[in-house]
Amino acid sequence: MTIENISGCIGCGRCVHACPCDVIRIDKESGKAAIVYPADCQICHLCRMNCPVDAITLSPEKTIPVVVSWG
Amino acid sequence: MKVMLRTSVIVIALMVFLGLPILFYWLGEFPRRSVLKEAISLLTLLAFSLMLSQFFMARSNLKVIQLFDLRQVQLVHKFIAYAVMTVLLLHPVLIVFPRLFEAGIGPWQAFRTMLTTFENPGILLGLAAWILLLVLTLTAIFRLRLNWALGIKYRNWRYFHGLLSVLVTAVAVLHAIKLGRHFNPSMVFFSVSVAITGAAMLFKMYLFPPTKPTVSAKQTVGSE
Amino acid sequence: MTTTEQQSGPTRRAFMAMGGSAAGMAALGVNAGWGQNTSVSDASAFTTATHDCDVLVIGGGMAGLFAAVKGHDAGAKIRIVSKGRLGSSGLTPFAKGFFAFDPAQEELTLDEYVAAVSRSALGTNNPVYTRQTAEHSLARVEELKAWGFFDSNLYNKSFMTPIEARGIPLHERVVVTHLLKDGERIAGAAGFRLDAEEVVIFRAKSVVLCTGAGAFKPNGFPVCDLTHDGTVMAYNIGAKVTGKEWNDGHVGRAKNPAATYDGWGDMFDRRPSLEGVGIRHDLGVDANYLAYKLGNPVEAGPGSGPGKNVAGGPFRPVEFADNGPPPGPPEAAGMGDGPPAGGGPGIGGGPPGMRGPAMGGASAGMSIHKSEGLVPINDRCESNIPGLFAAGDALGSHMCGAIYTQIGSSLAGSAVQGAVGGEAAADYARDVETPILEETELAAVEEEILAPLRRKAGYGPAWVTQTLQGIMIPNFVLYIKKESILSAALAYIEELRDHHSPMLRAADMHELRLAHETSNMIISAEMKLRASLMRKESRCSHYRLDYPDVDDENWRAWINIYKDESGDMRLEKQPFDTWPAQT
Repeated sequence: MTIENISGCIGCGRCVHACPCDVIRIDKESGKAAIVYPADCQICHLCRMNCPVDAITLSPEKTIPVVVSWG
Repeated sequence: MKVMLRTSVIVIALMVFLGLPILFYWLGEFPRRSVLKEAISLLTLLAFSLMLSQFFMARSNLKVIQLFDLRQVQLVHKFIAYAVMTVLLLHPVLIVFPRLFEAGIGPWQAFRTMLTTFENPGILLGLAAWILLLVLTLTAIFRLRLNWALGIKYRNWRYFHGLLSVLVTAVAVLHAIKLGRHFNPSMVFFSVSVAITGAAMLFKMYLFPPTKPTVSAKQTVGSE
Repeated sequence: MTTTEQQSGPTRRAFMAMGGSAAGMAALGVNAGWGQNTSVSDASAFTTATHDCDVLVIGGGMAGLFAAVKGHDAGAKIRIVSKGRLGSSGLTPFAKGFFAFDPAQEELTLDEYVAAVSRSALGTNNPVYTRQTAEHSLARVEELKAWGFFDSNLYNKSFMTPIEARGIPLHERVVVTHLLKDGERIAGAAGFRLDAEEVVIFRAKSVVLCTGAGAFKPNGFPVCDLTHDGTVMAYNIGAKVTGKEWNDGHVGRAKNPAATYDGWGDMFDRRPSLEGVGIRHDLGVDANYLAYKLGNPVEAGPGSGPGKNVAGGPFRPVEFADNGPPPGPPEAAGMGDGPPAGGGPGIGGGPPGMRGPAMGGASAGMSIHKSEGLVPINDRCESNIPGLFAAGDALGSHMCGAIYTQIGSSLAGSAVQGAVGGEAAADYARDVETPILEETELAAVEEEILAPLRRKAGYGPAWVTQTLQGIMIPNFVLYIKKESILSAALAYIEELRDHHSPMLRAADMHELRLAHETSNMIISAEMKLRASLMRKESRCSHYRLDYPDVDDENWRAWINIYKDESGDMRLEKQPFDTWPAQT
């Protein structure tokens, strides 16, 4: 996972706006942030740093295989 | 015999109200954050649990006040109450406090965002619980002066205190279920069952008062 | 982009392209390529909102901020539109060093500074823009200080301060896909909202592109939301584009290469800080050349490299030789403010604190900051399209040249050019009439915007992007170039352009964004390959194995790319130290 976990979310939506890659959306039913497009996460932690209640945990692994020039 | 019984009651109480939340916290698969944040979370969880324990250190818990001296019980009730209320009233601040030491939005910005997210029922419940808790605390601290000034009888104050406690607990438990990051099913089950039991004992006492008063008339120094 | 309603299956030729180009892709188990569209957005239910302004600023980074503020202060009615959030998208949130030229503090005079940059850049820099950034940098710093920019590692709050004070309307999470024209001049832009089924039209007398540059959504660099959108939109309406052959040579960590936060040490946590003069010759393709020759020799962190040397490789001016090969990314990409991390003799070049092997292509697809983008026709950030301006990485100002020369100049250059461009756009808008947008043209644009949502089946944009990455990112394609491979890669890219781009599908607004981004990256890839093929020499961050030397006789020139009347990509030379010929 990239964004691994969102717990204790209050649904303020700051992370949705802070994410450059549009990974997170507020779930209409729960009113909480949900990781909707994990493959597009660039693991930059802006969501975490913008969360007022520190609800977001990230891990360094990408969900999709990565393409590099040389490894 | 009575000493042993007392000791076991205290041990059981400690195990239920401190041991269980710690156990649930320990076993739960929660993301572990910085030591400071985890310490604050644990402190809050214990404060919450001890708040629930207050129902069992009251007149409504006949067994306990038969086993211990009521004034001792009331003293412990009061002592725990002050500690718990301090933590719980500071709870909103404690959530954003660690932001002082890390990158990201500042504590004040986080605090403002948190308290103004009115679309979230969990936040509204939290705000309501906080205000009710403040009223509960103030009316307990200033009980004598308040009762004297408004001419309230102690018995009526007791009803007020008891009923307000139930209300605070109900709102706080709902708030915690909605938003608490450590409220997994075990923790929810624990809080709800303890809260319902506590409230039930209180209502039982109100609806079916014990025929023989078990305490002397000197109990006015205590709190419920 | 075409609007062909292509509902049949892919051609045999397209299938073969998929199989060949992305040999490893299927094995990697990436998202399905061709498939049914499980569309949840009803493209027929879209509404359209139209907004008017004098100057439309597209992009919410450092350049966009200053373009809006200075355009407003020059008397224009401004609107800002960004696909992300102000100060929290593009590369701006991650840049921490801010170059400020303070004549009282520096040993070099302004003239000497510009001359030194030109020497390191082997003439590829535009000295007018090099000087402009240095000259105006202190003034921008003072403004940023007043807004609280240097007080937090996050920029949204400080960016909002001047915008709120001026009451400038801000359209966030709106993806702009098209620039609109009225005759020969700019007339606005069109796009869609991420959070609503709404097409958004901006009617504007002038537009400032502050859309950054872009890459191929590489791993290792927080640049995945930048896909050359501005450059390609402008190219599509006739603007000239420059600098596509240059490459940024950042390396990243081999372990979890995509974890940009972890890979960059505490960079993202740091508050911005000031940088004085510090001219280097960095972030070219030295490490790429070593990796090409020796496998992956780029071991371990700064200064701890094995210090291997190999004959040949990119030319480095003697006076910048002691800089060593590329330093650690933080200070390098203009994203940092610390002391050079990789200044030693080793060939390190990883992020600070990086342990273990490095990997290449962290920023694949991106050129050196400010060396690719729209061709400026003067020192006021103006493009060849009347009323269209660009600033920051979206402008091919060649402020630094085709190699990373001045630490911290990325943020500073964006701030300075944003201010210059915003003011110039406001001046332009003062003297022109409100443009007219033709209904039929708008309908066609709307059709193009929503086409991927309407396709019943098509290629998933994520799969096409990964195929594109597989073609472009390898070291032997993008960095260590030669005729045969560039031509082969171009054949694949043309296939994507002709048979995949018109068949992209999108199930929701997020995927619609990906679809348009993917199309833009394909056009950018074509530009990169064609420019690289044309430049038959090696200079700064462009390295050709078959033409390894600097060729001053033929190549003291930039390459401009434009679309001709039949829609084909054309390339032309523009000598260094000149402005483009005006027609």
